[in-house]
Parts: sequence; C-alpha cells; structure tokens
Amino acid sequence: MGSDRRRRRAITRITAFCALVIASLAATAPARAAEAWWIPVGLQGMAVTRVSAIGDIITVRTDSGATLRSTDAGRTFSAAPAGTTFPPPGVVAIGSQRWEIDSAGRVLHVANASQASATVLDPGSPDLGAGADLIASPAAFPGVVVAVATDGVVWRRGQDGDWKEALLLLPSSLVRGVPRVTSLAAFTEPLTGAIYASTTGYAVLISTDGGDDWIRAGPGLPDTVYSLSADALSANPLRGAVFAGTSNGLWEHVLQALPQPPAYQDAALVWRWIGIGAVTLVAAFAALLGIARLAPRRDDA
Amino acid sequence: MGTEALAARLQRYRAAPWWPTATVLVIAELGLGAALLIPITFSDPNGVDPYLARLSVASVLIAMPSLFVRRLGPARPILLALSAVAATYTLLSAGPQILIDLLGSHSGSFDAQVFWASVAQAVGTLLIALAARRLVTPEWRPSLRLRHVSLRGLGAGVLGSVLLIGVGLALPANLLGRVALQPIAFGRDLPWLGPANALQAFSQEVQFRGLLLGALERTMSPRWANVSQAAVFGLAHLAISYGGPEAPFVPITFLVGLAFGWLVRRTNSLWPAVIIHAVADIALQFGIVQGLYGF
Repeated sequence: MGSDRRRRRAITRITAFCALVIASLAATAPARAAEAWWIPVGLQGMAVTRVSAIGDIITVRTDSGATLRSTDAGRTFSAAPAGTTFPPPGVVAIGSQRWEIDSAGRVLHVANASQASATVLDPGSPDLGAGADLIASPAAFPGVVVAVATDGVVWRRGQDGDWKEALLLLPSSLVRGVPRVTSLAAFTEPLTGAIYASTTGYAVLISTDGGDDWIRAGPGLPDTVYSLSADALSANPLRGAVFAGTSNGLWEHVLQALPQPPAYQDAALVWRWIGIGAVTLVAAFAALLGIARLAPRRDDA
Repeated sequence: MGTEALAARLQRYRAAPWWPTATVLVIAELGLGAALLIPITFSDPNGVDPYLARLSVASVLIAMPSLFVRRLGPARPILLALSAVAATYTLLSAGPQILIDLLGSHSGSFDAQVFWASVAQAVGTLLIALAARRLVTPEWRPSLRLRHVSLRGLGAGVLGSVLLIGVGLALPANLLGRVALQPIAFGRDLPWLGPANALQAFSQEVQFRGLLLGALERTMSPRWANVSQAAVFGLAHLAISYGGPEAPFVPITFLVGLAFGWLVRRTNSLWPAVIIHAVADIALQFGIVQGLYGF
C-alpha cells in the first residue's frame, strides 16, 4: 500500500514537471506573424477584367465595361478620363530589348530598340496561333520569355534560347473543362525573376526559376483571375507589387519571399530541443510501461 | 456497469487471442502519436523540430525490449513493423542531407539524392522484414506475401491504377492541387523520382500490408486486422504532413489502406498494392502543383 502511494506520488511529480517544462516553453514561443500573400485593395463585389498599375495610379476595367482610375494606390476609384488606354497586349519591353507576338502568333525579338535593331523572328520559337497575345519576360532573368499559345499551352524560352512547353493546365473537373490562362506578368525591373500566370479556375500560378517549375500562389484570391499587372513603382518602391483583377475585385500582392520556416538560434533552439527530447522519452517510456502491464495475457504473466 | 462487471469483461478480453496484439498496437500508436504531436504545442514543426528522427527513436525505444523480454514475444512483430515505418521514413527524409554531409558536391542532384534515399528506405525495410522472420517465432511470424505473383494479381494492380487515376481526374482539381502538368520538370525529374516513388511505395507496402497486416492476422479476424493496419496507415500520414494540414489526410489514407489491405488479402499477394501505390505516388509527384506552403 505504502509503495503504491510512493509510486503514485512519483508519477504525479514527473507528470507535473513535464507539464511545467512544456508550459514554460509554450509561454516563451514567439508568435509567427505571416504576411498575407494577397490582400484585397478595392472594388469588391465587382469583376475586374483588366488592370494596369504604375506607381500610385491604377487603371482598371470592370465587367460592365467601365474604365476606372485610382490615384491613391487603390483606396478610391473614379471614372477614368476619356481616351484612357491600357498597355498594348502581346508586347513586353525590358530596357532596350523588346519581345512581341505578331498577329500570326509568332514571337519576335528586337535586341536593341533604341538603336533601331531589326525585328527578327526568335529562332526555335513556337507557333502560338493567331490571336495569341500573352507574353512576359522578367528583367531579372535576361533572355527568359514566357508566352501562352491559343491552345492554352504555356511556353518558356530559356536563357539559352531554347523554347519548351512549360505548363499544361488540367481540367478542373470532369464537367468543367480546362481553365484558361488569362494573363502573364513579370517585373520589367530586376526586382525578382518571378513570373505570374493568372487563370480562370486556379487563381494565380508563379514560377521563380524562369518557367521550369510552377507553384500555386493564390491563397485568398478568388479562383477566377482575369488580369495581372506587375508594378515595380508601387506605393512601396523597394518591394514592388502585383495587382490582380479578379471576379471579386482588385487584389494586391506585395512582393515578398516565399514562405520559409523560421530559423531559431541559441537558447530558443536548445530549449525546444530539450522539450521535444523530453516529450519523446516520456512518451516512449509511458508506452513501454503500458505494453508491459497490459499486453501480456493473464496466463503469460 | 459496475467495477466488478468491467473487471470481469477486461478479464475475458485479456484471455482473447487478439488482446496482446491489439493492446500493443493501440498503446504503441498512442505513444508515437504523443511523441509526434505534443511538441507541436511549443515548437515549430518545420523550423527546428527533427520530428522524424525523434519518432524513430521513440519507435526503436518501444520495440527494443520486446526483443529481449520473452513475455513480450507477441508484441515483437507489431513493434518491429512500427519501427520499420518510422525508422526507414527517417532514412528517406534525412537521406539527401546525409548524402550531402558524406559526399559534398559529389552527392548529385537533389533528385538523385532522393532516389538513393529511397533505395536506403527499401533496403532498411527489407532488413527489418528479414529480422522479423528470424526473431519472431512461427506462431506470431507475419506472412509478407511477396513470393506470390499471379496474372490475376497484376491485372488487379493495373485495373486499380486506372481506377485511381480516374477518381483523381473526377475530383475537383483545386481540392487535390491537380491543376497542371509541368513538362520541363517532368522530363528532368522522372528518371530519378519515378523509380524513387516506386521504391517508396514498395517499402510502405512491405511495412503496412506485409509486416503489420501479416502480424495482426495471426491473432485477429481478417476484417479487424485490415481495419487496424489501415488505421495505422492513416495515422502514419500525420507524420508525413506534420508541417501542413494533417487531419484531412487521415480519413483518405485510412480508406486507401483499407482498400490495399483488402486487395492484398484477396489476391494473396503484395504486388497489386505495390503497383497501385507506386502509380498513385508517381501521379501525385507529377500531377500535383505544389502550393506556397508546400501543400
């Protein structure tokens, strides 16, 4: 009887000690604040089919055909002045270089527009189909170009000039068919090599290695995104921003690194390791104790 | 129900042939679950926590005494199976880093490292399976069903693979992340990661439907043995997706485990499940576009 009481007391003490260690570690664990990948800017409840952003000036077109302009980084919108236009599709200029898709769907390259270089067909470029007009080229990866064919295939040109199929969207379900790529965007200043592709079912996909690998980067966004605009001169000029016109308003992604696990140092790391080590040992020994006491049948014991 | 009635019932259960294996399985799973999940309350799953290593340590600590204590003999195959699951998965996930530490710049591409880590996982699994054959008495020894190969079984494997891909295509793409194919990544990764995925599938089938199901069948009815191994298979995926949204995977993997167990029993061969599992892993590898947080 006495030894039972002593054993119970010892178990209680060990349990209390473990709980204390865990509670003290939990109390000192710093909270992790994650910056939202996409944040709503305005025009919620409205479909925004076109967007162009340069600095604090954002121009959008809504599904009703209205062209609106904001001069305060999207806080308020009013009707745009008559004659307001959007940048022409199918053309991207990086410094003095220019890439464009002609009306037949061929990719043309001007090596130095300022010196009136000739416009040449990029060797090995695919036939994108008449009417194709989605093209992007990140300044951070000179020579890399991504373009979308009329059949929906996303092509990429590597820095070595080699064109390859980079992305093929799959049907969203058996009844809903394959979503469309609606827009491409990349920074024409060397802020980042990321390439953004908007779709009508999978929000936004991005590639950070020149189009070889893609990830889904639309958490928070509506699934249908009609238009993207990469703005190196955004309200936060050190970081840049990407604006997305969606089926539910205008959204902004402030340029940031891909989410990474935090790195702990010194005492914070040591205490965590001690905590998880202690939990592992206690759990293992408790399991062993339980197995030894309960598992064997009466007649085995 | 009074205490006496409960005690009487417990007494009856303890005399049942399934009692040792069922109790060992439940307690070991509780121990491993506690070792895995409690630290999430105060530590960061991705940043600092070598959670697979400590899961392996816990599984080995729990299994070791069964090798030396005679009355824990019935627990031995179950605990060896759980050790095979945890320890070899650690080998797989830590393999690339181990290769970098050992071979530096000669360790090859990341894809190559994953392939060699998968080889190590398969070899480790087979060694533990061999140990189980040597160290477990015939009464409790699990049947791995590796030797039985039949046309009917292979046909079931192919049919099951087609069915699985069909279900994957029928489900909403956003639910699975099955939104696009990436031809460049596919061409680059397939030569290494295709075989790596097949090896991983083989290892897991030997662990769950070979060692574990085989051991449970010795004392339980086929139905309960299958449900039990499927439950462990489902819960094991808590460890795989520990840093992500783990809970939704458990019911899905439980059902998949149940189907694989049924197929293995039905065909009396492990290979149909290996084929379907390999196809599923390869399809997941190449048909899923990862999200921002890796899922």
